[in-house]
Parts: sequence; structure tokens; C-alpha cells
Amino acid sequence: MPVTLVNPMNETVVKAEPAPARLSSLQGKRIALLDISKPGGSIFLDRLEGVFRERYQVAEVIRTKKPTFTKNAPDEVIEGLRGVDAVVEALAD
Amino acid sequence: MIEQGEIAPNFPARETGKATLLVFFETDCPTCQVTLPYLNALKDSVKVVGISQDDETTTRQFVEQLRIVFPVEIDRGLAVSRAFDPQSVPTMFLLDKSGRVERTAVGFDKAALNDLATTLGVPPIASEHDGAPAWKPGCGSRHLEVEATANGDGPHTVRFLRVAGERASRSTLNEGQDAEEFCMRHFGDALPVVPPTVERVEKMLSACGQAPETIIGRIPPFYGEATVEKIAANAVMAGCPPEMMRVLLPLVRAVCDEKFNIHGVQATTHFAAPLVIINGPVRQQLGFWSRQNTFSNVARANSTLGRALQLILLNVGGARPDGIDMSTLGNPGKFSYCIAENEEENPWEPLHVARGLSREQSAVTLFGGEPPRGVSEHNAQKGKIILQAITRALATVWSYRACMVFEAVVVLCPEHVKTLHRDGFTRQQVRDFLFENTGIPLRYYRDSYDDRGEGTQMTANYKEIMIDGEPCYRKFLAPESLEIVVAGGTAGKFSAVIGSWATGARGSQMVTYPIPD
Repeated sequence: MPVTLVNPMNETVVKAEPAPARLSSLQGKRIALLDISKPGGSIFLDRLEGVFRERYQVAEVIRTKKPTFTKNAPDEVIEGLRGVDAVVEALAD
Repeated sequence: MIEQGEIAPNFPARETGKATLLVFFETDCPTCQVTLPYLNALKDSVKVVGISQDDETTTRQFVEQLRIVFPVEIDRGLAVSRAFDPQSVPTMFLLDKSGRVERTAVGFDKAALNDLATTLGVPPIASEHDGAPAWKPGCGSRHLEVEATANGDGPHTVRFLRVAGERASRSTLNEGQDAEEFCMRHFGDALPVVPPTVERVEKMLSACGQAPETIIGRIPPFYGEATVEKIAANAVMAGCPPEMMRVLLPLVRAVCDEKFNIHGVQATTHFAAPLVIINGPVRQQLGFWSRQNTFSNVARANSTLGRALQLILLNVGGARPDGIDMSTLGNPGKFSYCIAENEEENPWEPLHVARGLSREQSAVTLFGGEPPRGVSEHNAQKGKIILQAITRALATVWSYRACMVFEAVVVLCPEHVKTLHRDGFTRQQVRDFLFENTGIPLRYYRDSYDDRGEGTQMTANYKEIMIDGEPCYRKFLAPESLEIVVAGGTAGKFSAVIGSWATGARGSQMVTYPIPD
């Protein structure tokens, strides 16, 4: 008698989103820096902001922050990222 | 929604000329589960009527499990809900004798419940320190839900989370194919499992009486739908007996409680793993072990329940230890981390009672914790000296100079409890003593130590106190940061401290859920 097993794994269908095209240049672009609220994240992002402005002439750097690193970013944080050309997220520690 | 001052629409069990408190609820809403038992205390002052938005079977189970003593009516077709139009549940409408809405209350709110009691001329019904939060928002009212459909993502479609999923897929093995080997390759973790055959899963399902497609929760980080059937399949793999479904369903609900934040507990690099603590009569009924070796491989119930939870988190939630679960060193509790409280050796109130449930109620509590660290104190003649030994272990929770943002479970062994009880300590006094006497000497933060080490940069938030004549920073935020559990064998003076992961609203908070009888 053949054995039939019940699948115990996640079978929830998740809609895949294609990754956006990579930027060919940072010049004149709007870049968001997302701090996840871990110690040290702001140190890394401060330095990155300086590099973006001085070396790559980005048009605008938008700084935003998750209220806590332990949870997903709330909708308002995600909404605040709309319209930028790229986001850099600092995982930190 | 019908507002204050309006005449209420008709509802079942209406009695003209009698003040009535109507409460709309859903059986699977954690906030409703917390709120409704409080209303039992009002039944002699006002006619209380529950309006269930669910079917008769689940409503009956809800009423029995939570020991609801006032009448509950089924809102067939949600007609009453549409007429009153509460936006969320629980929502309460207090109607005066003429049927006019005198006041409304939404969600779980201790202040509002006590105001309601005052209006009815009875003492407060929600104590500040009964273990329940001061406030907890409810769930969307059933009559506003729209079932998600496969093609329902159009721009004008409101999309709500569905309450039933698909049946699990099946794999029929070839003649001679080894089922254990197949499972090792496709399911689970590094340990062998019991193959979840259709027959074994059916036995699990028939023990719980719930539809296999019912979604009990969505497990982070992938938010996989934990249907009753998926839970049953993982329970089979862990070696659970079918009766364990009774514990597993509330356990999955608890682990998905937003307060517990399993998303963070699963994905952190820290040691945290969900510690399951079992209380109440279910310990004897299903064989949960609370005595010697309670943290170990001593009883099928403890070992398989903890293992089933881990398999569900792994298989349905996707937190694979070789993938998205990035814990630096891990935790042996990720094989299984389940204890029962030794209530028989506990002269005080057990954990679930301290957290607002009745002693006769079975309960499951979850705590995102490190592995236990032992505290030996065999020579002390006084309870105070035992507690001082425990404060030294508590002082090292998370990191020795980090204060105020971490919590701990203190597992007291029966011999230590005996001495503490003999010396007149109550459970709360144990908490208070540990809170008052756990601190980090200020000298650890002096200039010579100013190395920007962990915990040294937040001292503006710390509170300075004196402990044994030495200035210290207080380690914990409040006595409630420490939870007391009695467990273990009656021989040996070893207690344990289990440090938390990040806590409070920004981390993981302990949750307690009732287990049905």
C-alpha cells in the first residue's frame, strides 16, 4: 500500500515582485536612507550621506527611521519612501 | 455605528423596560477572549447579552472555555451586527430601560470597564495588576469583512485576510520509497520526524473537531498560513498524541499575538526562543511534567509540544536555522522548550492565575527567552539570602551594564520556595525584593570603564539607587519585569533565571492564552 504524506510546509502563494533595475548613476537622484533603529546605524548612514552628497552629487538624501528594529516597518515609514530612486537600509550593530 | 443617545435596533433576548449591556464579539479575537470574562461580574447589575458573530459550535466552545455566565446569542447572518454596525469587536452598548444607548465602549480598556461598573453602581471589575494589559485594540467586526478572492486585487476591492485556506497538498511515495528519508529531505530540521501520513493527520484532525482549512494564524517571517491541517501535520511529525491539538491551537494563536512579536524572536541574532509554560489541569490530563528535569527530555507531552511549535515555526513560518533564523549561537530550546509549573509545590498563586485566569483554567504562556542559567544556593538558611543569590544572576541579564529594557523569568525550585514561604515571602514580595535589590554598581561605569561598551550609553535613562550601601543603577524597570514560576524537583536547591530578548512594546511581551477543557 503506497504511503501518502500530508505536506506540512508553507504553501501560501506569495506574489513575486521583480527587483527594480539598478541605477546607472547616483547623480541627481533622490536617495532614502532607512535606519532600522539599531545602535550604530546612524553612524554608518551619516557617513554614507556625506559620501553620497560629496562624491556622487545626489540631488536629495531623505533620512527615515523604523520605530523599532524588532518589527516590520510600519506603513507610514514605507509610504514615506515612495517616489525615491533608491533606498539604503542600515542593518547595523 | 449606533451612537450614544440613539434608540437601539432590535436584538435577540431583548426585554423591554430592562437596562441591557450588549457585547458584540468574535470567538477567535484575542481581545474578545480577554474582555468577555470581565463582564461576568456585571451580570447581577444589568442584563448582559453577548452577540456572537460566529457559529454555534465555536460559540459554545468559547462560552465553555472562558466560563461565560451570561446569555450569548448567535448573530445569524450578522443581521444584528449590521444594524448596530460596530466597527470592531469587542464593542459594548449599554442601553437604558427605554432602549436608548447610554454609553459605548470599544476594545479592551480597563478604565472604560471600570467606568462602566461605576455607572452600574458596582466596584471596579478590572484590576490594574491582574496580568492583562491596560488596553488592547480589538479585531474588525465580522460584518465588515470581505473574503479575499484569487482575482480580488482590483483597484476598488477591499482586501481582508481570509479565514480559511486551501487543504495541504499530498505526496504519494513510490513503492519501496523510505518515508523517513523523504521527510528528512523535504520537511523539518536536523532531527528525524514521524512521517505525516494521511491516516495520522486525520487522527489529529478528528481530535480537535475544527475544519482542516481554518486558518489559526499567520506565522512570520514568511506569514505562512497555519491551517488546522498544517498544524496537525507538524504535530504528527513531532510525535504529539492527537489530544495535543487542544493545546496546539491556542499555542499557535498565542505565538501569533502581535504582543509576542514572533517575527522578531525568530529573526534575531540573539539567543531567544519561545519558552512554553503550561499551567492548570491540562498538566495532569495530558502528562505535562513539572518536576525534576522539567527543562529536559523527561516527558512526551513537554518534549513533543515544544518540538511541534518549533516545527510549525520552521515549516510554516519559514524561519530555517540554516537560513533566515540568524541566531549567532542559537538555543538548545529550539529543539523543544516547554515546561509545566509545579503548582503542587507552589504555595502562592501560579503563573496563569497571576496573569488573570482562574486556577481551574488550563493555560499556555509564552516568553521569548534565553536558555536557563542556574543559581545554586544550598547553604543559605534564610529566604533573603536565596533571593540575594538570584539578584546576582539577574544582574547579568542581556549584558552586565545594560539596564531597564530587559526582563526575566525566575524559575524557583521547590526547596527554595519552601524556605521563602516559611520566611513569610509572598509571590509579590519575592518580585519586589528581586527588583529592589538587583542593580549594577556605578563603579562599573566610571571613566576607567568608559569604553562605550554595551549599556554605558543610555545611563541618562537609568535610576540610581543604593544597594547594601553601594550606589547602583537599578537593573529592571519595574517588579513586573520579573515573572515568577515554580518548577523542578523537590531535591536540590537550584533555581534558574531566564533572560529575555528585547521587551515591551518595541520587543516581545509575555502572552498567556487559555486552553480549552
